[in-house]
Amino acid sequence: MKSYLIALFFFCPAWAICRAQENPYFVTYDHHLEEPGNLEIETSSTLGIPRSGQHFYFAPYTEIEYGVTARWTSEFYLEGQATAGDSSIFTGWRFENRFRPLKREHWINPVLYLEYENLNEGSRIQKEIVGNSPDVSSPNAELRKVAAHELETKLILSSQVHDWNIAENFIVEKNLSEDEGFEFGYSVGISRPLATLASGTECRFCRENFIAGVEMYGGLGSTLGFGLHDTAHYIAPVLGWQLTNNSSLHFSPSIGLTHGSNPLLLRVGYSYEIRGFGTKLTHWFGGRR
Amino acid sequence: MIASLFGQNVDYQQDSNWRPPTEAESRKNPLSEKPQAAAGGKKLFLRNCVECHGEDGSGIVKKHAADLQLPVVQNQTDGTLFWKITNGNTDHGMPSFSNLPETQRWQLVLFLRSLKPTTKTP
Repeated sequence: MKSYLIALFFFCPAWAICRAQENPYFVTYDHHLEEPGNLEIETSSTLGIPRSGQHFYFAPYTEIEYGVTARWTSEFYLEGQATAGDSSIFTGWRFENRFRPLKREHWINPVLYLEYENLNEGSRIQKEIVGNSPDVSSPNAELRKVAAHELETKLILSSQVHDWNIAENFIVEKNLSEDEGFEFGYSVGISRPLATLASGTECRFCRENFIAGVEMYGGLGSTLGFGLHDTAHYIAPVLGWQLTNNSSLHFSPSIGLTHGSNPLLLRVGYSYEIRGFGTKLTHWFGGRR
Repeated sequence: MIASLFGQNVDYQQDSNWRPPTEAESRKNPLSEKPQAAAGGKKLFLRNCVECHGEDGSGIVKKHAADLQLPVVQNQTDGTLFWKITNGNTDHGMPSFSNLPETQRWQLVLFLRSLKPTTKTP
């Protein structure tokens, strides 16, 4: 267990790499998609600070994102978690697609989101919060046996107001493995670069390389009981730092607002973008030049 | 032939459907009196645009990207170029760059004005 935790720590390095001007949210999506043909690899982690009687947990995940077209992005996730005093387990995979139906920029830009999740109940990455508060007390040996094949859809609405991004996500999720109705959740975010004028020189620490903001997200119950009762909600400052032309780091402490939330979630993410990956792949496999 | 001499992508065909609204076309570049801002525009161009348009802006043929040196591009207004950067042309593979701050998009427009065709040695 200890060696696994150490390996996970290095899997999610603390040094920073930036994506090109992407918003630093961990939960909220905006309308900006991956550029066509580009591949982005991201490794992120969620560290859960527990309440009394609960245990620390560390939930890393890897994300591979590809720009299929200028209006369609696909992503694949692998995730796991390690709980102090318990064990570490693989918690599943996800396949996500985002599609932007409108061709041009508008005041509000919609994006349609569809994701299939092949998980177990030990999942802790909390890439989204839906339904009621999760079970963080049961041992991993029990949770890993409970499958959660879920279909998730989001309506993403996002606006660029001068240099501010404002995004709202409305989430509906259905667990195909259990008869527990449809679960609902939300996330909202706002962010802005710390400087809008690009300097003429390469620099790591200039303000133009930093994007700051805040997001808020939580569950809204289900069709069996809609509302805020026994739900988890968080408010989270976010900070993104662009280190190089194609790599970035983002960081967020998420503050729990309800008894059903962890008091604190610490999130860190590192991403690296490979430009023109689609073209390179075609060449490797003998495509036309 | 003369365009070829200047190394221009003479095969580039402009998309006639890719046109801004009138109010967008008439916008002026707020950085037009600050030519020094073009240096930042060059940095942004190298970061975001060379994959398809090439370092000299002449356009990579297999990407079907515009030759930004051509008069058909350079004769467009600053507002038109800003609108095209902001909206992209998603039917033809150019993404939207609305994620860049407005000031940086105007810096890109400023830099685009500096792109000049280079003479090919026969």
